[in-house]
Amino acid sequence: MSVYTKSYRRPSQGRRWLSLALQYLCMVLILVIMLFPFFWLIASSLKSPEDLEALPPVWWPAHPAFSSYRTVFEVTPFARAILNSLIVTVSSTAGILLTSIMAGYVFAKHQFRGKNAIFVCVLATMMVPQFVMLIPLYRMMVALHLDNTYPGLILPNLANGFGIFLMRQFIAGIPDELLEAARLDGASEWTLLWRVVVPLLRPAAAALILFAFVFQWNNFLWPLSIVYSPEMSTVVLSLNGLRTYTSSVTFANIVMAGTAIGILPSVVLTLWAQRYFIEGISLTGIKG
Amino acid sequence: MIQGQRSLSRSRSLATVGFLSPGLGLLIVFVAVPILLTAWISLHQGSMAIPYSRMRWVGFNNYVTVFEQPIFRTALLNVFLYSLANLVIILPLAILLGLFLYQARVYGRNVLRTVLFLPYMIPTVAVAIVWGYLYEPQYGPLNEILSWLHLPPQGWLGSVHEAMLSLVILNVWQTLGYYVVMVVAGLTEIPQEYYEAASLDGAGWWRRHWYITLPLLRRTLAFVFVILTINTLQVFDPVYVLTQGSPVNSTDVAAYEMYITAFNYGQAGQASAMAMIMLAIVLALSLFQLRLFRSL
Repeated sequence: MSVYTKSYRRPSQGRRWLSLALQYLCMVLILVIMLFPFFWLIASSLKSPEDLEALPPVWWPAHPAFSSYRTVFEVTPFARAILNSLIVTVSSTAGILLTSIMAGYVFAKHQFRGKNAIFVCVLATMMVPQFVMLIPLYRMMVALHLDNTYPGLILPNLANGFGIFLMRQFIAGIPDELLEAARLDGASEWTLLWRVVVPLLRPAAAALILFAFVFQWNNFLWPLSIVYSPEMSTVVLSLNGLRTYTSSVTFANIVMAGTAIGILPSVVLTLWAQRYFIEGISLTGIKG
Repeated sequence: MIQGQRSLSRSRSLATVGFLSPGLGLLIVFVAVPILLTAWISLHQGSMAIPYSRMRWVGFNNYVTVFEQPIFRTALLNVFLYSLANLVIILPLAILLGLFLYQARVYGRNVLRTVLFLPYMIPTVAVAIVWGYLYEPQYGPLNEILSWLHLPPQGWLGSVHEAMLSLVILNVWQTLGYYVVMVVAGLTEIPQEYYEAASLDGAGWWRRHWYITLPLLRRTLAFVFVILTINTLQVFDPVYVLTQGSPVNSTDVAAYEMYITAFNYGQAGQASAMAMIMLAIVLALSLFQLRLFRSL
């Protein structure tokens, strides 16, 4: 990077300041646009019904009220929805992690006939829109009496092509010598995978956990199709319900409070993993 | 020794099968078989609840019926326009912002990257809810901001002409950061020597990026292009939450039309035909795009 700056013809001091000022201006502008919806979300959740109806709109309530964060738990079984979402999301994330590591290891380090063809098929599943499988999956769950149940929500989301692909890419980077050494020591493939490969996978596993958790937490189409009672509703499904049943603008504070709670796990995980990624990058930087 | 190796290789092939079967088995049961069943249902007539054995074979009738319905043709056209508008807006913005994140000498670049990426990770339903209130013509802030600039208030989601564009803006805000991160990853792989050589030859910012960055970013951009196409062609959540296809079907999209045909009208056959048409379009477009970019 330092080489890069040096290579430019050095502009005059004045032009450098101007360019720097423009860059900061750009950055602030983008930040404002990106953060404004979040600001409006929080501000609205703290408004009173009078603030919400005010014209012109109130930007920040004079007396921020947190009561809507309690109301949202009273008007819908929101605590239950959070529990449901956690059960479904944690189970399918664990499933995806397990199946992806095992299959990714085989695709990266084992040789067998038809490997490439099978791997291409796995990749192709990433291109298939979710709604293409929807009708048979729905019928399957109804036939098994698994509609409106946890297994029904979890089962179709225990493996995915993206996870297998991601794990294969990372495991392919692990030197074969490391595996051969462990094999000479008499380690079985099972111990090899969990004792040698998995400890080296931590950054990749963190990335996969992040993506799997967030995408299951955010999933809307599948719960919408097979859940029919409020007690089995997920957070995202409850948010849609809240918005539908409280269309009046004076209830926006409750909907926004629910939304703020609903996005919290995704926001926290993203911020946490960001740190993790940067740590991983700097660690490998020191080593290299 | 030889026998030892043989038993070793047998235990390894046992491991191959054992490690592969959970993942592949699940993908077969919950992806491959359902795709085949959707194809099968699309050639039959029946409700959502009727058993497979009692469905009546109708050949390609469902496909004909679906294409004869103006509503599905509208939904297809709408989703193409939605996809195209997203491509036209996101692709150049992602390249510019990627270059900015990669090159700018400013404090807080990491914060900017995080903030750009964050909306991609939160539920689309939540994004749709928040933007629904932002677009609110009377009480929302967007029309208020327009009035500060002495611009007329807009109908946003309530207007036949603006509803689709409003959904496009929502999607650009939510997903741009993801594509920017992909572009930054592509930029880090371009050797800096190319830029040094070009600078020595007196090439300016535009020429350097036009002749070096864009061609070398080709593979990344192809990837962005394909993922963007696949993702936008399946748009469902914001339509379901915000507009339900209204006003006057201006935001009706294929996935939404398929969903209500199946779950509101109970026409499993027609809905499956719609799903298969979309699958064919998505696969054909992404393979075509990948080939196009490879030949460039």
